[in-house]
Amino acid sequence: MNAIGLFTMLRREAKRTLRVVVQTLIAPTVSAALYLFIFGTVIGTKIEDFAGVPYISFVFPGVLMLSIINASFASASSNLYFMRFTRGIEEILIAPFSYLEMLVGFVGSAVVRALMVSVLILLTGLAFGAVSLVNPVAFFLYVAAVAAIFAMLGIIVALWAEGFEQLQVLNTFVITPLTYLGGIFYSITFLPPLAAEITRANPFFYFADGIRSSMIGYSEANTAIGLIVIVGLLVGLAILVTTLFRKGWKIRA
Amino acid sequence: MSSPMLEIKNLKKVYGTGKDAKVAVDDLSLTVERGAFFGLLGPNGAGKSTTIHCITGIAQPTEGQIFIDGVDVVKDYKTARRKVGLSPQEFNIDFFAKVDDLLDYMGGYYGIPRAERKTRIDELISRFSLEEHRDKKFQKLSGGLKRRAILARALVHTPDLLILDEPTAGVDVEQRHELWDYLRELNSRGKTIILTSHYLEEIQELCNEIAIINHGKIIKEGTKAEFMRDGKSVEQTYLEITRNDDKKA
Repeated sequence: MNAIGLFTMLRREAKRTLRVVVQTLIAPTVSAALYLFIFGTVIGTKIEDFAGVPYISFVFPGVLMLSIINASFASASSNLYFMRFTRGIEEILIAPFSYLEMLVGFVGSAVVRALMVSVLILLTGLAFGAVSLVNPVAFFLYVAAVAAIFAMLGIIVALWAEGFEQLQVLNTFVITPLTYLGGIFYSITFLPPLAAEITRANPFFYFADGIRSSMIGYSEANTAIGLIVIVGLLVGLAILVTTLFRKGWKIRA
Repeated sequence: MSSPMLEIKNLKKVYGTGKDAKVAVDDLSLTVERGAFFGLLGPNGAGKSTTIHCITGIAQPTEGQIFIDGVDVVKDYKTARRKVGLSPQEFNIDFFAKVDDLLDYMGGYYGIPRAERKTRIDELISRFSLEEHRDKKFQKLSGGLKRRAILARALVHTPDLLILDEPTAGVDVEQRHELWDYLRELNSRGKTIILTSHYLEEIQELCNEIAIINHGKIIKEGTKAEFMRDGKSVEQTYLEITRNDDKKA
């Protein structure tokens, strides 16, 4: 395995993240702070505790997940698309990386940025008194898994896109609506029965529920179904992205 | 007996499919011996860059085989890629990264440990007189400095085979001669070099073996002496051969 090569890919993305720190780290932290202030402090203080925790603690895992998804997707899609645009991808193509190593390198790079954002948002959450962590190992695994899923979606979009505008298509029309409708700001017990059932068909519901259950110990989803959805997406997307790299789709002539 | 540094057997590369299919390289075979300074000539679109891309992994051959130092570039691509360094015609680089970082990343991609990488980068920075530019972004460099940085990047993992695709495009005369001296020195130390250039005096100055590609095929291959027979320059021979080939086509 080309371990030094993989570490270099992660290091490069970390440096690129810090090169545009306002866009990559400060903006998501400010957004998360605003969400916590409005939903937690302003509205949350008018709402009774839910599931045994203050509303701000119930909402916080969703806010964190939203930021992880955005950071991971943006990192993977912009990194790879920029490399295609400048032909910098040729540096990777001529280097001794297997297709699986390319997958690990690109996904790992995006997860690194998502983790950097996560740490800042956890610190912000601590300042608001919103953070609790009942199962740190499960929390880390859920965060890494969700980041990896959206990194791979970002890679697919970066390979498909023919312009910068197209990078936003999936985010605008699929990711953002499904995220907001996945119960990040509310419990599905607040919904009418039909809407609750529809929400259960939304994979984002299981992402948010997994992170929330690891933080506050409260779950509304079937954990087994959630794990099947998450592991299934991880494996399916990994196979798809590795196949695209092997075929050289849009990157190798 | 050791294998040649580069052996291409019946390479074919087709871009696109169906009606849009375009044959860029057609049944091309070529051997470059170890230690050669090999000039690859041809008009624009003849198939030079496509051949180079197939050797280095930027493009996938449609048919045929390529061996670098006896290693198949498709079947054992990871080993093969460690043996080649590429200085491409177009800058395939992150323009916002610093020169030092670009070399560091490339060395890292090739799996060179940190301490060894640092020593190697310092040597290359010094050899290409990039000391005062190492902390500058690539986009801020002049054309000549960019070429030097790209060449340094191609050498960071000390490849056995160095492929230079138009390495002196946009470089002034003085810097071109400095680069020539360095390439001669590298070749004299045993490095095999493949050079493509539109400056035919550069090929004549540096190369001892020459091949001409036209319409995706090798139409002439020989030593520099053979190309300069009867007091002709490489350029005169090149024009004669390509014009005759174009008439036949």
